[in-house]
Amino acid sequence: MVENSVLISESSTRDTLIHLLARLLQNGEVDSVFALRGTSQEGRYCYSLITDPSLLNEILPFHPVMPVQGARALSELTITEPFDRPVAALLRPCEIRAFVENVKQSQGSLENIFIISCTCPGVIPASRLLREDREEVQRNLPANIRNACRTCTEFIPGTQADMTVLIASDEPQNSTVIYLHTEKAVEIAEILDSCTLETGKPPAELTSGILETRKKALKDLMREMKAPGDGLQSLVSLFSACIGCRGCREACPLCGCVLCDYETARTLHSPELVRAEAKRKGSLRVPAGTLQFQLGRLMHIAPLCTACGQCSDVCPVDIPVSDVFIRAANLVQESLNYSPGRDTDDTPPMATFAEKELLDITD
Amino acid sequence: MNSILMDLLEKALVSGIVSSVMVPSRGPDNSFPWTLVTDVSALNRVEPVPPVMSVHGAKALASFTQSMPEGKLLAVMRPCEARAAIELSKLEQIDLGNIILLTMDCPGAVPLKEYGEDGTMEPDINRPETLRPLCRQCTEFTSAGDLCLAMHGGLRTVIPLTSGGQELLDSLGMKAESDTSQWKEWANALRGEREKVRAESTEKLKETYSGLQGLVEVFSGCISCRSCRTVCPICYCRLCFIDMKDRRSPASAHLERSRNSGAARLMSNTLLFHIGRMAHMSLSCVSCGMCEDACPSDIPTGRLVSMVSGNTTELFSYSAGRNPEDPLPLNTYQLEELHEYED
Repeated sequence: MVENSVLISESSTRDTLIHLLARLLQNGEVDSVFALRGTSQEGRYCYSLITDPSLLNEILPFHPVMPVQGARALSELTITEPFDRPVAALLRPCEIRAFVENVKQSQGSLENIFIISCTCPGVIPASRLLREDREEVQRNLPANIRNACRTCTEFIPGTQADMTVLIASDEPQNSTVIYLHTEKAVEIAEILDSCTLETGKPPAELTSGILETRKKALKDLMREMKAPGDGLQSLVSLFSACIGCRGCREACPLCGCVLCDYETARTLHSPELVRAEAKRKGSLRVPAGTLQFQLGRLMHIAPLCTACGQCSDVCPVDIPVSDVFIRAANLVQESLNYSPGRDTDDTPPMATFAEKELLDITD
Repeated sequence: MNSILMDLLEKALVSGIVSSVMVPSRGPDNSFPWTLVTDVSALNRVEPVPPVMSVHGAKALASFTQSMPEGKLLAVMRPCEARAAIELSKLEQIDLGNIILLTMDCPGAVPLKEYGEDGTMEPDINRPETLRPLCRQCTEFTSAGDLCLAMHGGLRTVIPLTSGGQELLDSLGMKAESDTSQWKEWANALRGEREKVRAESTEKLKETYSGLQGLVEVFSGCISCRSCRTVCPICYCRLCFIDMKDRRSPASAHLERSRNSGAARLMSNTLLFHIGRMAHMSLSCVSCGMCEDACPSDIPTGRLVSMVSGNTTELFSYSAGRNPEDPLPLNTYQLEELHEYED
């Protein structure tokens, strides 16, 4: 680990990163670049694996959108085998954390991935970018980010990042600031033109104001959500408009089962069973299991949730899914003393057994 | 407005001629879940034609009718839902024995995303701007299933469409009004208008998104949430071919793909997924528009699939969901057919 070594560039963040990535590709330091890129349709974005340096001008590094959670795209690439040559990947902190959890569950590999991350200012809800004035929404980013981003206190990447671009900071920066965390990062920085290497304050010191704001928002969420989503009746009400599209599950970087338990034939019921239940109540919601699906997913994901907010973002009926998940995840992760994505060596709580644990919540 | 229908449902349940009714009810927070009602007292929450389509009726029905229910089940649904139920019965996902499908002159539905904003919008059959894009061009807005509640052309009556429907009316001592000429005129006029809208929409889609490049463009905003597949009443496979493990490619294959053109889009099977779905759905698509309504990226997927479906069903002279007796085109074989597509 290199202590607070910083690269300073007078070019814009985007230009600096394109310059850096082009050098990496041209010098053969990496074979490819994993980055967010615009598409032929304005306002539509995708993750791409880029090998031609001349196409790097199409990338939108850390543009405040998340069409697909980066971990999901990286998992697609590395689920059957790791990269055998280095690739540079631009990822947000929650994407790295989700991918670390993917790796623990054999859904991907970190091997040969050089990670460039950022102090993350958050991303804008997709629906707002689609249906409102895009420029207007982007102008005042902190006011327009997802709820999940508003309450995110882990916006500085952890130890997996090789470089961290200072994007979110308390004071606006006049130059581009990139932290170099590894020897490899320093080596790479040294070959760049028109950049200087310095020793700077750690990112936490430059973002303490943001952290305070986010902590307060998270505290509010933990308190407010006690009403909607607390108790069975309020959960029924919260998910009453659910259309069962399962978009929340598909968009979730941690819901990786090939066939979800809730799609198996087990969830089909006989007409007799359903009618008997309807008879008992007079009227029964069909298909059965709307809330059961949500609670089942909550149970499976809460220990591992990295609070990216994709589930809320895809919901076509605007159910605040991520509010419920983030609140539960905070409580569950605290009681299990587990921080998803922090370290590849931390064993997932469901994979460990301790004879004496959680005594405070058992009889 | 639905007093005739409510009267029918009550009579059917009280007499025991029907043992359960599947129909949307009013739920909490402007929601309209499907409900299976067995108790007459629960009928007061029934909302037979809610302003939005949340879950497709055929999908709700298929969740518990893979085997034949004991006792008659009356399902009150929109025409596109009844037609999908008939397709699902051909695909052996619903056993329609003992199920009576009652439809109505469908007013159309409000887009989910617009309804969610304040929950006050109502679909107005005469104001297309209140309707989902596929409802605006729907030509099969009435007369599907066994019975149809006619509410236009001066009529307010339940018209039997099959012998099963007639039997139910007879057993309940109800009689349909016999002069349906004005109602038929109304339907023909609206169908004519809708056909024009559909032709215009198709023309526009073809202009904007023709060829492979057009498909790449229209699906460029796809985030692979697969909601279109999940909400589709016809897409019933438990494990979609696109999600199978043997479809996964190693990193080296993605790299090679990237080297071919300089960059490769990830979630790489987006287009294959949509084309595959079009191919699989096109003969049974009932143009319900669920896929488009659920799409968080506002992709006109319903209009596209419906356009493709229009072409393929015409080719096979097939109409999805119209007649339970018509065999599925892909389940029939003729030695002499489709010569025009041969070399």
